[in-house]
Amino acid sequence: MHPFFVRRERLVIYLAAWLIIGLLLTALVALPGEVDWLLALVFALPLSLFYAFVCLSAWYLCRAFPFQKTDIQKLLLLYAIAASISSSIWILLAQGWTLLLSQLAIFETARARSVGEARLLFGIGVILYFLSVAVHYLITTFEASREAERRSLELKLHAQEAELKALRAQIDPHFLFNSLNSISALTLQNPEAARRMTLLLSDFLRKSLRFGAREQITLQEELSLIQHFFEIEQVRFGQRLQIRQLVDVPSANCLVPPLLLQPLVENAISHGIAHLIEGGTIFLSAGNRGSRLNIHIENPIDPDRPKSRGNGLGLDNSRKRLRTLYGSEARLETTLTESSFELDLSLPASVKTE
Amino acid sequence: MKPDQRSTRVRAIIVDDEALARSIVREHLTTHPEVEIIAECGNGFEAVKAITELKPNLLFLDIQMPKLSGFEVLELVEGDRAVIFVTAYDQYALKAFEVHAVDYLLKPFTQERFEDALRLAKERIPGGKPIPLRSVVEAARARELPLERLLVRDGSKVHVVPVEKVDYVEAQDDYVAIKTEGRTHLKQQRLSELESALDAKRFVRIHRSYILNVDRLARIELYAKDSRVAILKDGTKLQVSRSGYEKLKGLL
Repeated sequence: MHPFFVRRERLVIYLAAWLIIGLLLTALVALPGEVDWLLALVFALPLSLFYAFVCLSAWYLCRAFPFQKTDIQKLLLLYAIAASISSSIWILLAQGWTLLLSQLAIFETARARSVGEARLLFGIGVILYFLSVAVHYLITTFEASREAERRSLELKLHAQEAELKALRAQIDPHFLFNSLNSISALTLQNPEAARRMTLLLSDFLRKSLRFGAREQITLQEELSLIQHFFEIEQVRFGQRLQIRQLVDVPSANCLVPPLLLQPLVENAISHGIAHLIEGGTIFLSAGNRGSRLNIHIENPIDPDRPKSRGNGLGLDNSRKRLRTLYGSEARLETTLTESSFELDLSLPASVKTE
Repeated sequence: MKPDQRSTRVRAIIVDDEALARSIVREHLTTHPEVEIIAECGNGFEAVKAITELKPNLLFLDIQMPKLSGFEVLELVEGDRAVIFVTAYDQYALKAFEVHAVDYLLKPFTQERFEDALRLAKERIPGGKPIPLRSVVEAARARELPLERLLVRDGSKVHVVPVEKVDYVEAQDDYVAIKTEGRTHLKQQRLSELESALDAKRFVRIHRSYILNVDRLARIELYAKDSRVAILKDGTKLQVSRSGYEKLKGLL
């Protein structure tokens, strides 16, 4: 259906424009002074409104021959023909209208003139038709770009949603199977410890699922998840893995996206501590400065490790996630030295409002 | 003792960075008096040392370990032995194992699975069926190319040389001599093999006997007709063949 009939306000604007054209036409008829203004108005206004509907036909041609995809010469020829036909219909009607008005004996003097003005009227009709074509092309282009924008936004939203789901579901299989192997080893040697490990693991998985289903959790909650993770990893790594945490009370109440820090801590272990024969300590601190929540994670690294298989991929995911959630409001910066990897995360600080 | 019994005497080393993971292998081996555990290692360096010094004929080898991966350990040690790879999860390695029909244990594993793997490995202990270890190691390490670090064994000690510290490499019979920071490390490898493992944008085979780190090049001088020498920043002069010169020209 024609876009002007889909949205009524467009039709109103369109007809208003033609009303103005009608007034101009009135002036054209009345200015030579042979016809009085009221008669000119009665003549020109209905004529102009009629032509408004004739010119709507341009839309079907615009749709059939998209501007970018059609040869410009072909377009010019096409619209020249269409404009001539439309304009011819228009002047025929104008003459009929003049005839009718003069029959009613209110438009006598104009009768002779209108024939003489037919050429002028034809020219105006052609120009108006071309104007209508231009307007229709503008509208189709505008609508197409709006549609494309809407679709790309929709696509982006879908992609981000899918990505978030995938990220939340992400539990490193290496971690999981190694933990199960520890349980398998402990079962005979130390049934008590095996049970503890099983409970730790199930608690961790349960918490991950529960937190992952929420939009935001408090830093406190995320830290409790990390604590579980550490206890499990400590069964595997023993004394090689140590952690020191320094989190002040106000920042512990800040809201963070769920499972944001846990993969970063996991990285600190799998790319840092796991490569060190003697192991090392992971430092984790969080502080609330003004409206920002700042989190710092630091781990020692092996200077001899292969460089490219470092913290890359996991960090990419975290960065993407932050960008999705906070746009430019969140920062994740890393510093690599010969023997340490430091990560600074800065988010807008917000607390639960209940 | 009958001779065939002596030949199946198994001397094993368990390599895993997690004590619990080692203990479960040890536990499964208690029912196998014919298998003697001669060492347990918690990282790649220890493993290379123990294998070189104790010469086991069976290895239980974890893949992800501190310092050196299981595959890097195998690249560094000489001789022949059966290997049972033990890993929790490593898609890339598993693919390599399957392609080359090499047996492996996935953590956690059952007693039955362990027995199967041990039986297969014992059949392959030197004198038995050979295993395509070299190709497995190559396939599994393909993702690490181009190399970022060169591993060199000196006796039972391992040196890790980051490639950016390498000046040039020279072929010497069956060895390559890796020149770095005024020192020379010898490694048993063919120069062409090393060439293909290095980043071709930084390391150029300038001559039958040389691979050059392009960063070290100061200038090239004409030495005789069709014969050039590369002068390195430290003054070292290396012969450049005609095709080597073409490659250098293409790169600079």
